[in-house]
Amino acid sequence: MPNRKASRNAYYFFVQEKIPELRRRGLPVARVADAIPYCSADWAKPVFTPLRRPGMLVPKQNVSPPDMSTLSLKGDQALLGGIFYFLNIFSHGELPPHCEQRFLPCEIGCVKYSLQEGIMADFHSFINPGEIPRGFRFHCQAASDSSHKIPISNFERGHNQATVLQNLYRFIHPNPGNWPPIYCKSDDRTRVNWCLKHMAKASEIRQDLQLLTVEDLVVGIYQQKFLKEPSKTWIRSLLDVAMWDYSSNTRCKWHEENDILFCALAVCKKIAYCISNSLATLFGIQLTEAHVPLQDYEASNSVTPKMVVLDAGRYQKLRVGSSGFSHFNSADQEQRSNTPIGDYPSRAKTSGQNSSVRGRGITRLLESISNSSSNIHKFSNCDTSLSSYMSQKDGYKSFSSLS
Amino acid sequence: MERGVKNKQDFMDLSICTREKLAHVRDCKTGSSGIPVKLVTNLFNLDFPQDWQLYQYHVTYVPDLASRRLRIALLYSHSELSNKAKAFDGAILFLSQKLEEKVTELSSETQRGETIKMTITLKRELPSSSPVCIQVFNIIFRKILKKLSMYQIGRNFYNPSEPVEIPQHKLSLWPGFAISVSYFESKLLFSADVSYKVLRNETVLEFMTALCQRTGLSGFTQTCEKQLIGLIVLTRYNNRTYSIDDIDWSVKPTHTFQKRDGTEITYVDYYKQQYDITVSDLNQPMLVSLLKRKRNDNSEARLAHLIPELCFLTGLTDQATSNFQLMKAVAEKTRLPPSGRQQRLARLVDNIQRNTNARFELETWGLHFGSQISLTGRVVPSEKILMQDHICQPVSAADWSKDIRTCKILNAQSLNTWLILCSDRTEYVAESFLNCLRRVAGSMGFNVDYPKIIKVQENPAAFVRAVQQYVDPDVQLVMCILPSNQKTYYDSIKKYLSSDCPVPSQCVLARTLNKQGMMMSIATKIAMQMTCKIGGELWAVEIPLKSLMVVGIDVCKDALSKDVMVVGCVASVNPGITRWFSRCILQRTMTDVADCLKVFMTGALNKWYKYNHDLPARIIVYRAGVGDGQLKTLVEYEVPQLLSSVAGSSSNTSSRLSVIVVRKKCMPRFFTEMNRTVQNPPLGTVVDSEATRNEWYDFYLISQVACRGTVSPTYYNVIYDDNGLKPDHMQRLTFKLCHLYYNWPGIVSVPAPCQYAHKLTFLVAQSIHKEPSLELANHLFYL
Repeated sequence: MPNRKASRNAYYFFVQEKIPELRRRGLPVARVADAIPYCSADWAKPVFTPLRRPGMLVPKQNVSPPDMSTLSLKGDQALLGGIFYFLNIFSHGELPPHCEQRFLPCEIGCVKYSLQEGIMADFHSFINPGEIPRGFRFHCQAASDSSHKIPISNFERGHNQATVLQNLYRFIHPNPGNWPPIYCKSDDRTRVNWCLKHMAKASEIRQDLQLLTVEDLVVGIYQQKFLKEPSKTWIRSLLDVAMWDYSSNTRCKWHEENDILFCALAVCKKIAYCISNSLATLFGIQLTEAHVPLQDYEASNSVTPKMVVLDAGRYQKLRVGSSGFSHFNSADQEQRSNTPIGDYPSRAKTSGQNSSVRGRGITRLLESISNSSSNIHKFSNCDTSLSSYMSQKDGYKSFSSLS
Repeated sequence: MERGVKNKQDFMDLSICTREKLAHVRDCKTGSSGIPVKLVTNLFNLDFPQDWQLYQYHVTYVPDLASRRLRIALLYSHSELSNKAKAFDGAILFLSQKLEEKVTELSSETQRGETIKMTITLKRELPSSSPVCIQVFNIIFRKILKKLSMYQIGRNFYNPSEPVEIPQHKLSLWPGFAISVSYFESKLLFSADVSYKVLRNETVLEFMTALCQRTGLSGFTQTCEKQLIGLIVLTRYNNRTYSIDDIDWSVKPTHTFQKRDGTEITYVDYYKQQYDITVSDLNQPMLVSLLKRKRNDNSEARLAHLIPELCFLTGLTDQATSNFQLMKAVAEKTRLPPSGRQQRLARLVDNIQRNTNARFELETWGLHFGSQISLTGRVVPSEKILMQDHICQPVSAADWSKDIRTCKILNAQSLNTWLILCSDRTEYVAESFLNCLRRVAGSMGFNVDYPKIIKVQENPAAFVRAVQQYVDPDVQLVMCILPSNQKTYYDSIKKYLSSDCPVPSQCVLARTLNKQGMMMSIATKIAMQMTCKIGGELWAVEIPLKSLMVVGIDVCKDALSKDVMVVGCVASVNPGITRWFSRCILQRTMTDVADCLKVFMTGALNKWYKYNHDLPARIIVYRAGVGDGQLKTLVEYEVPQLLSSVAGSSSNTSSRLSVIVVRKKCMPRFFTEMNRTVQNPPLGTVVDSEATRNEWYDFYLISQVACRGTVSPTYYNVIYDDNGLKPDHMQRLTFKLCHLYYNWPGIVSVPAPCQYAHKLTFLVAQSIHKEPSLELANHLFYL
């Protein structure tokens, strides 16, 4: 409970987060009380903090950069190397309480993650949900259609529940010893727990997994780092973002091919991305492709095939060299430097051309450029090389082949 | 069972007497301004003797009987009761005449020769004003409609013997009525509204055979399940509806099932015995329907097996609703003009009075069916539309787009930095549209600079990635020209741009821009939306009250997770009521009641204070999305929240508050009589007598036009009022607010804040599924 003490209001946390910055400025602040006079002005102006350009992957500004001096390095190291498993199991809807079978497990996703390494391995499988209780076909169909869209029957990718569970166990517990804790979002916990128990019943393997919530994990990491508890709203906003929805190498192959957002694997990977993006950066970790889907943004900074930026201002003679568009210019420059044939009009650079090149002609020219096979070829190569890099890196081929 | 519960909720509202607490309307809640207009209604007098009373008895059986049917049959067969007017549900008996004894003991013999003792005990004597009587009156009329050989489907009654056929689309419509009896002002009135049930002239078996011929046998079961499961069917042998929850391919009509008494019987024999129907196809599979469970009943789900041959499809599929010709044909039959409605009403009344059974039923209860109610309404003066340097009196308040074509809008931010995202195929239309947009925007005083045009591939991921890459803090607006109306495009773009990265966005379908002749009007509409999205104001009406804040609240269920309620709140932040503060809050409760109003109101009042350096003197809240039976919760739960936020925000003077419940669906309809026929009443017609309720401060307002069919009035119920505005002023203010919805250059059916709140909740419930960023709250980003 964040606000147990009356003194710990939003302003308290605000000031606390400001302290490292004030220290860097050389101000003598030891406690929150010392820092208050320096923070009042900042508090009064609206804080504008959302993550604007995902490509830049800036840490959220409402969390201050790490202050390594205040932390015991040893504790950090243990936290950074600690391995977590994020697990999710999808069901064909939820059946009413009077039914013995409450869920019909149909897809499972799990990732192995550490703050230091990012996603180390992933596991994914479709599950054969078994016979749908008579009379609930519509209910299940509707639930599936509104989310993951996995067919409720005759889906040849579905694996036997016992096999899936065995494979999951092998994934999270390859060697004898203690079982690691498993995490899922609190909203999903009932379902995942029920499904695990149900599958265990079917397979006669008994292993009670300890299922914890990601929210508590975030609280734990935050607490260990900053010795205080973050707000529930902050955690929710941290975990509930749409920006990775379409990232490549996030959904399972089937959901990617059918362009469906709801995928059990994607849920787990997105938890990893969110934690990397908001928490790992606080530990001063350099984000890699294993932390967040960087490759998307790198690839798109250097022109994805067929994405062309046009400046409609070329029609207009008057608006030459306007200064308001500086950020666009820089984007243009990036583009230009990365494009094989980069000489289409960009307002800042080639303003002289504007008067001479007008109308549709230029559009057609650009289309031919963007459609040129060499371009596409180049980038499709780039994609595959990246993904092969990924799969080599994770080193858990035996498991990725299971999915 | 469920029906009874539902009805009880309706009557629950009636016991909430809000008017007696409002001193200024306790004596008179009617206005006087405007031109009087004579109106005919769909309400009828129901007369009964002054000393009419209802007697409630309790009936017990020894030995006890479980079967309700048997209980009723035994009691009704008794000579003591046979010629009395009665209503009996198996335990409670209502009579209009008192029995001689307080406790009457009767005994009857069942077919099996068992003797059953029945004890009838008087419990209550109810005056005609009691809510229980209203319930009994409704039961009486349901009986009467059944006697006119109409069938109850849902809550309405339909007449299968006079179907309206639409042969070219294999449809038939059953005409019918929604009826109710209740007290309006001082009189007991019967109201009836025309309703239609759409049925398809196709049995499920015929549908299956046709499907099989089209697709072949391979994968037939799957396609069949895909197409049929979830549809509603009607079985004509008992005129009941069922939903198809499953198809059981292993069971055939020749298989047996266990009847409730434990005997086994085949389906074929059962239908022969019970309904005298011969099933012809003995190899058809069976449809499975999950029967509704009774309340608080934790037993196993009960399944009903239905024979496809006997099930008729009902309602319209998505495919059918997108068929323009079909919908037009249906609308032609169902959207009756006022004269058609009047004719049908007259026939219903005629039938009730001529049918001997129906008349007998009415007479034994001591009721008399009276005349149709006519009343006098008032037409409030039309409003002038204030533009930047021009005051315009529209030709019709229904649509003033032509009247304001040459005028400049009130206030527009210029649009300097913006993006257009389009695909290769749509680039040409994007450019011609852009030219058009700049032209029309210029003439309305909205400066639109050239955007940056980004071409992306035709898939949602490409659109989202382009948005992520090119949107930065300076971008004022993102326009996406969508290649198809696939929902994921819209949803993913809106989701990202409303919460992750709050920037106003405008999505347009490429198909819309391809309509050549319409380009100008489409561009005008989009330009108006864009202005609003970046903080512009289009027009205003004259608001005589200074320092008035109007608030609209609406609720809606989230489309993905059904246990999440989306509450949308919109408040005006300037005295001219042209700028708005909008916020949407998701709440995890099962009820339709908002419990986040204080948070919202505090935010809205802060915004008001910021712009006006004072608090509003008056606050009027319009609350839409209120269901039957929720009035009590509203009065006891939402109004205190609003009051506490008003009181808490200011120390010296507190703003005065009014809360008005807005309902678009209501029973009464009004027609004007003209040249011996009836027509829709004019815009701005107010009704605040006779068709209103005595215990409430309420009125009807007609603020929309129906080009086809009959206009429906909007019902307003003022449940809390500190402002003490005269009814006249309240009605006119409400009418003025109906002019301020910036997505339509004309009057709308509810006050603008309600419509905004509705639009916002709809966007969040359908596409975003989370709270939009507060950074967008100052603009109408959801238009």
